[in-house]
Amino acid sequence: MITNKINKLGLSLSTLCCLCALCVSCSDFLEIKSREEILLEDFWVEKTDVDNIVAGCYSGLQSDNVISRMIVWGEARSENMMVGEHDPVDGNLQNILKENIKTKNAYTTWDGFYSVINRCNTVLKYAPGVAERDPGYTQSELKATIAEMSALRDLCYFYLIRAFRNVPYSTVAYTDDDQVMDLPPSQFYDVLDSLILDLEKVQSYALTRYPETKPEYQTGRITKCAIWAMLCEMYLWKQDYDNCIKYADLVIEDKKNYVKERRGQGQANQSSYGNTDSRFNGYPLIDCRNGAYEAIFIDGNSQETIFELPFDKADPGYSRLGNSAVGRLYGSSDYTSFIKPSNTVAEDGSKSSQRVIYADRNKSFDSRIYWNANGDNNYGSISKYAYQMVTISGSSSITGISHGLYSYAKVNNVDHFSNSSPWIIYRLTDIMLLKAEALSQKLREGTDQAVLEYNAPLLAEAFSLVNAVNKRALYQVTLTDTLLASAYSTKSLMEDLVMQERHRELMFEGKRWFDIVRRCLREGNTNAACNAVARRSGLNAQYVLNTLRSPLIGMWAIFLPYNDEETKVNLNLAANQNPAFDSGESSISK
Amino acid sequence: MRILKSILLTMALMLATAAGAQDITSVHGTVSDEMGGLMGATVCEIDGTGRIINSAVTDLNGNFTMKVKNPKDKIRFTYVGMKAQVLPINKTTFNIVMTSATTLKEVTVKSKKRMQGNALPIPEREISYATQTISMKEFEGLGITSVDEALQGRIAGLDIIGNSGDLGSGSTMRLRGVSSLSSLTDSNPLIVVDGNIREVNLSDFDLAGANNEKFAELLNINPEDIADITVLKDAAATAVYGSQGGNGVIELKTKRGVRGKPKLTYSLKLTGTYQPKGYNLLTGDDYTMMLKEAYFNPSQNDNAADQYTIPEINYLGDTGGFPDWRQYRANTDWRDAVTQWGLRQNHYVTISGGGEKASFRIGGGFDHETGTMIEQKLNRFSTRVALDYNVSDRIRVSTNFALTYTKNDMNYDGLLGIAQKKMPNMSIYEIDPDTGKETDVYYTMPRSGPYIGSAVFEHDQRTYVNPVASAHLAKNQRRTYDMSPELVINYQLLGTDDEHHQLNWRGSVYMNIFNQYDDKAYPWELNPLKYGDGINSAYTGSSKSVSFNTKQTLTFIPAFKNKDHSVMLMGRFELTSGSSNGQSTNAVGLVTGVEAPSAGGLKYSPGSWYNQWRSMYYTFSTHYAFKERYIADFTVRADGTTKFGPGHRWGYFPSVSLKWIVSDEPWMQKLKPILSTLALRPSWGRVGNQPNQNYLYTSKYGGTDKYLDMSAMAPLNIRLTDLKWQIVSSYNVGLDIHFLDEKLNLTVEGYRSTTSDMLMANYRIPSNAGYATVPYRNSGKMRNIGWEFHINTNRFIKAGKFYMDMNANFGNNRNEILEMDEYILNNLNSTYQYKNGEYLQRVQLHNPFGAIYGFKYHGVYTHNYNTFVRLNLSDEEYQQFTKGTLPDEFYEKYGWKKQPYSAPVATNADGSLIRDAKGQPLRMMFNYTNDASGRNYKFNGGDAIYDDANHDGNINALDICYLGSSLPKLTGGFGFTFNYGDWRLSTQFTYRVGNKILNMSRLNLESMIYNDNQAQAVNYRWRKESDVTTIPRAMHGEYTAFNSLVSDRYVEDGSYLRMSYAQLSYALKKNQLKWIGLNRLSFYASINNPFVLTKYSGVDPDISQSGYAPAIDYAQTPRSRSYTLGVTVDF
Repeated sequence: MITNKINKLGLSLSTLCCLCALCVSCSDFLEIKSREEILLEDFWVEKTDVDNIVAGCYSGLQSDNVISRMIVWGEARSENMMVGEHDPVDGNLQNILKENIKTKNAYTTWDGFYSVINRCNTVLKYAPGVAERDPGYTQSELKATIAEMSALRDLCYFYLIRAFRNVPYSTVAYTDDDQVMDLPPSQFYDVLDSLILDLEKVQSYALTRYPETKPEYQTGRITKCAIWAMLCEMYLWKQDYDNCIKYADLVIEDKKNYVKERRGQGQANQSSYGNTDSRFNGYPLIDCRNGAYEAIFIDGNSQETIFELPFDKADPGYSRLGNSAVGRLYGSSDYTSFIKPSNTVAEDGSKSSQRVIYADRNKSFDSRIYWNANGDNNYGSISKYAYQMVTISGSSSITGISHGLYSYAKVNNVDHFSNSSPWIIYRLTDIMLLKAEALSQKLREGTDQAVLEYNAPLLAEAFSLVNAVNKRALYQVTLTDTLLASAYSTKSLMEDLVMQERHRELMFEGKRWFDIVRRCLREGNTNAACNAVARRSGLNAQYVLNTLRSPLIGMWAIFLPYNDEETKVNLNLAANQNPAFDSGESSISK
Repeated sequence: MRILKSILLTMALMLATAAGAQDITSVHGTVSDEMGGLMGATVCEIDGTGRIINSAVTDLNGNFTMKVKNPKDKIRFTYVGMKAQVLPINKTTFNIVMTSATTLKEVTVKSKKRMQGNALPIPEREISYATQTISMKEFEGLGITSVDEALQGRIAGLDIIGNSGDLGSGSTMRLRGVSSLSSLTDSNPLIVVDGNIREVNLSDFDLAGANNEKFAELLNINPEDIADITVLKDAAATAVYGSQGGNGVIELKTKRGVRGKPKLTYSLKLTGTYQPKGYNLLTGDDYTMMLKEAYFNPSQNDNAADQYTIPEINYLGDTGGFPDWRQYRANTDWRDAVTQWGLRQNHYVTISGGGEKASFRIGGGFDHETGTMIEQKLNRFSTRVALDYNVSDRIRVSTNFALTYTKNDMNYDGLLGIAQKKMPNMSIYEIDPDTGKETDVYYTMPRSGPYIGSAVFEHDQRTYVNPVASAHLAKNQRRTYDMSPELVINYQLLGTDDEHHQLNWRGSVYMNIFNQYDDKAYPWELNPLKYGDGINSAYTGSSKSVSFNTKQTLTFIPAFKNKDHSVMLMGRFELTSGSSNGQSTNAVGLVTGVEAPSAGGLKYSPGSWYNQWRSMYYTFSTHYAFKERYIADFTVRADGTTKFGPGHRWGYFPSVSLKWIVSDEPWMQKLKPILSTLALRPSWGRVGNQPNQNYLYTSKYGGTDKYLDMSAMAPLNIRLTDLKWQIVSSYNVGLDIHFLDEKLNLTVEGYRSTTSDMLMANYRIPSNAGYATVPYRNSGKMRNIGWEFHINTNRFIKAGKFYMDMNANFGNNRNEILEMDEYILNNLNSTYQYKNGEYLQRVQLHNPFGAIYGFKYHGVYTHNYNTFVRLNLSDEEYQQFTKGTLPDEFYEKYGWKKQPYSAPVATNADGSLIRDAKGQPLRMMFNYTNDASGRNYKFNGGDAIYDDANHDGNINALDICYLGSSLPKLTGGFGFTFNYGDWRLSTQFTYRVGNKILNMSRLNLESMIYNDNQAQAVNYRWRKESDVTTIPRAMHGEYTAFNSLVSDRYVEDGSYLRMSYAQLSYALKKNQLKWIGLNRLSFYASINNPFVLTKYSGVDPDISQSGYAPAIDYAQTPRSRSYTLGVTVDF
């Protein structure tokens, strides 16, 4: 009886134990896998995984967050922009445009850039492992990936140091929460040197040409030429002019070859006016009579472009991103812009003498007046990227929004809110003018013979570059030089000419304020920034000028402060906060 | 499913052991008593478990023959009135003489009421942890419509806050305060029904609805089915629930069938509900006047609000460019138009009964409700079946099944909120241009096209849908099916009573199946945008959740010779696994009249999600009592979860509780007649909380925006390698004092619980890591300290047919942050942005939460600055000016009444004017900064006077001061029950004392800075110089004036006393019912939430502080008031 009982008891107990053991043994019972996201263990197996994240790095760069900062950091503090007509106003943007910058300003956040940096670092961390595992992913492909990712990461850091001066710098991917994150800011020139070093190392890995079947990759992804362009600009910031010129020449040479190749395939922008290279001093630029605006800024992937981020309308049927940052800030067919051209820009376009931006001698020929902004200062809006077409004609028969002085220009077809224009990072004229700037910096002061002899070839080459860029924009059947070489015979005159040409050529492309900052760093004073600020309207100019001229904080005032949220979590940044700005809050009584 | 198989296997094996070797195949003999052979006596062969294998009945002479299946079984002889005999089958002939059972020796039957939840079956008096039980017997015959209603004000330390008056939404509950600031963990107490936890996880789908979801399980249980409710409060009590019970546990036990004749009960409740009205709002006439002033004042421009600028408020007489002029001449009470008397009918039928072998209870109910908001409708069908079958003395099988089907027609928009803001001079229906009469077409402000009216309404009034139209035209329907079947087997493996060692196995399998279907449609009439902008939208979604749970429990109760000792041991293994998934489709730009998104439309966006969870729990629990007065309990539970990485997957949660029943000591016996129980109960325990998200510990990769022709992915997170359990350890000391043979019972509890490693969400990290936040991190420590007092009586006052009972409880809870990561703390503290209606949030270490900060408000400036300067008063005259004591000539000269006045000038601490270099009084400024980055607002007549605490002539953040705490000094409830014969009156009250509420709802209703409708109080606004009032002038625009900053003007005392319910019931006497064949007929009438005694001006002071924010009234839909009539019939 009792044994029976115990038997049964034992049996059921052992069954129970088995049952428990069953569950304990499968300790993976508590291991479940997401069906919606891919986990690390299952990722980084084959080439497609790498390709996918690489694409994610580019599309991260395309986010509204990043593009709008490229615009705001690079241009909003310059004399080109002022508060647009959009209602309600974007208080943060308005404060930047009014030079009333506080550490709380939302445009001082940088997470978009660092997100791309971390994606790039993640690829650099895991891609070599994939190359080992996947025989379909060759060493040369791996190297190309390394070059591409390094270049994108370095581009992001380059934006960050130009905007903030010293920033936290890391080439390690962040994957775990126990990594050290509150890095101290690295010095501007230290970061710049690291970037140059890195790019010098990887430049040879990068592709020169992408397959012909993927024409958009040529300008939409990093090429050797794009890395050279970055190196060219970085050396200029480093004030290493010989290297700047060296890389500019490499870019120009590559572009010449590229255009030749494309002509061979019958794909280059063929001019109805024949080969116009000679017209523009041998540089492969697109004639403005031949739809240069649409080719470069609207259609994208032009022969002049070195690196751009292509966009598409985000409407149904389109799978790519639209450029909402441009649609929002520059305006669109159904959205009043947050930013409009400043009075300086609008007035300069309608003047025929005493111009600040455009050359007086260009008179009515400079089509960039319309490329940049709708020239009417009563109706001012930014044209570049926002207008789908800027038609300029020799005859006055074309109707459209026109301006008294220039009756034969017409701008129309404003783009959709989800702007489909590409966002250009580097194009040929930019590099040409960077080279001209480097050349101008090599000039020597003085009037003695030795100096004149030393200067003469440099002046000639610099002028040839500037003149080519300038002439391309002139709507003239028979080109006459509107700029006269003789007028720019000294270092300062040439330097001013280059800066002026950059100003009109690259207006609204997120370059102007960085040009000013570069000049300030080079000159060791903030005169360039003061001159720009003095031309601006709608701000407490005297207050701003006082800050900029302050010997203690003036050089800091041309950069941005670290965002308040960032200094709260990174005390290393708090200790090194930009001294020219405050949080705008008073301490609160307890 | 493996588990299920194992259980079946176990059962099969157990059955198999019943077979064995044999010698004896049949038995025979006689059964007799002293008188001779007994006819009809029962002879049965029974197995070890008491199961009947074979049986026979004696013949006329008491002889029997019976085949024997297994000689190892026993033979049992029974006869009515005789003592049964059980003998082993060791012979073939049995001659049995039975003895009468009616001549008994004296026996004392000792029975202990045992606690039976998920824990050990401990006798009630030996319970050593903090718990409180309400038997639903107390509510028998009363019209309790939901569980939270029954609990309201009854449980010390349980705070129940009504969420909203919408149908199907319930209450938020907090037991002993909020134990964590984490948003990752649920703060509601765990609800356990018959030992089972409902696992429905649709959180991926509808985060906002999660609370309603949680509450649904309470709504889905008919109060008629509940036997009792136990609230487990301290860590020792909730220990068996481990990490699930971190916020306390509410255990519900449902009724089961009882032995007896089948009983049929029908109950009907009819309830009428309505919503308290809240602030009186402006009529159309007052509104247009207010708005005109609000637009005129900032600009002082006559055209600012004229018929060309804002035609809507100018009562145009003809088109004049604005064709809709007829629509803006009404005095519509929008709130009245969207509210109504709601009606609820609850029908419920139960049949219960049972015999020796089986018992059953089957209940089914149908509820139909119409809401207090128009067009809200809820239908619910619920059923619950409980079957118990005693296979033998040792084996009992129970099955339970519950099903609830709910169809809820909800409003698409929050109608009440819109109705409060909507312009009252607009008419509900379109006016026929010919007749001037209302048509039956709803009027909606045009959103596009020419002549749409003034642009000032573009971002507010024009976006507010016509709430009446929305109620009738939009569709928002939710259908849910909720099923939970359960199978339980109880097997007493050893002894069946206290005299033997007992080893009991309980195995259960429980499932939850929940399906939800949502259908929404929003026609263009409500949202007359352009076609491309998303008109005619529709949505359908469905989600399913299935969970499976099995529990295997072994309880061992050794029987000691020495009765001073008693021990119980329990081991349990529990396993839960579940998954949920759903899909939805959304479409906009559908063809008018089509309500199915599958029709396509302009944009069509399908989506789907999948979610799964698993957990394992091991529990060991022991109970020891010495001499029944020294008691110790120990429980430890190991929780395994999928939420953490391999290193932190298991959490171990121990608890200890002790009890000393002092009154049972021999030296206390003299006091026994007065002090029937005195017991001291200390306890300590540790519980943990786990996050409600999976996969936090892995790196995830997911799709992102495409680039060129390449599909793109990105790393999505930083993996939380080091995420750990959030730990709450708590001490509790309880004291039970019962007087006069348990007639007056008193319980006092004190507790201190400390939460450490709090799971703080969105922990900000330096964004140079590529992410701005990590989802969660263990950070910080907080503490809750509190005490509770609870008293109830048991027929304490009794006089003839009358008796009366009362219950009362009160408690207090204080929380405090002990440690907090500096980063998180910094981010919790807001920076003042100088905005109207902005409150400053400050969290400080070692301070309780819920402090309210703001300006001090001193009324309204009566005079403009310029006027005041022209008066050219000396300091002394200024004093008289503010006191109203200047010479009469002065007042006559200006035609002002002689009374105290004020002007926007800065003063020194002694009240003298601050003057500038020219001797002119300095003007009071708001947020003045010299770099023009501040608001730099100049105060003027009609503006709010804020206390310039530091006398710097500038109202800024430095003038913000502490205005009070939103923590109540005391919360609780009390109730009385009066019985007289068959009449019973039962009342319950709740109260809260000494807390402050920031009335943001009133702030918004008196701000006059937007185009929203306002409270009637603004009719007393400042309109012209020398007006003395407390309501500032109307100034349209968020930053044009700063008259509605958070100040003590809006901080109100939130103390209240609410009558939760009063119910009167009457049961007819049984003998009065015999003739119609009824067993019971009782009627009752009840009134819920009839009044609140409070100084609070808002509609409902039932607002508590949550998280670190103060208690803020954002005009939640108030708790509705209701009247119920009910009848219960037993057939």
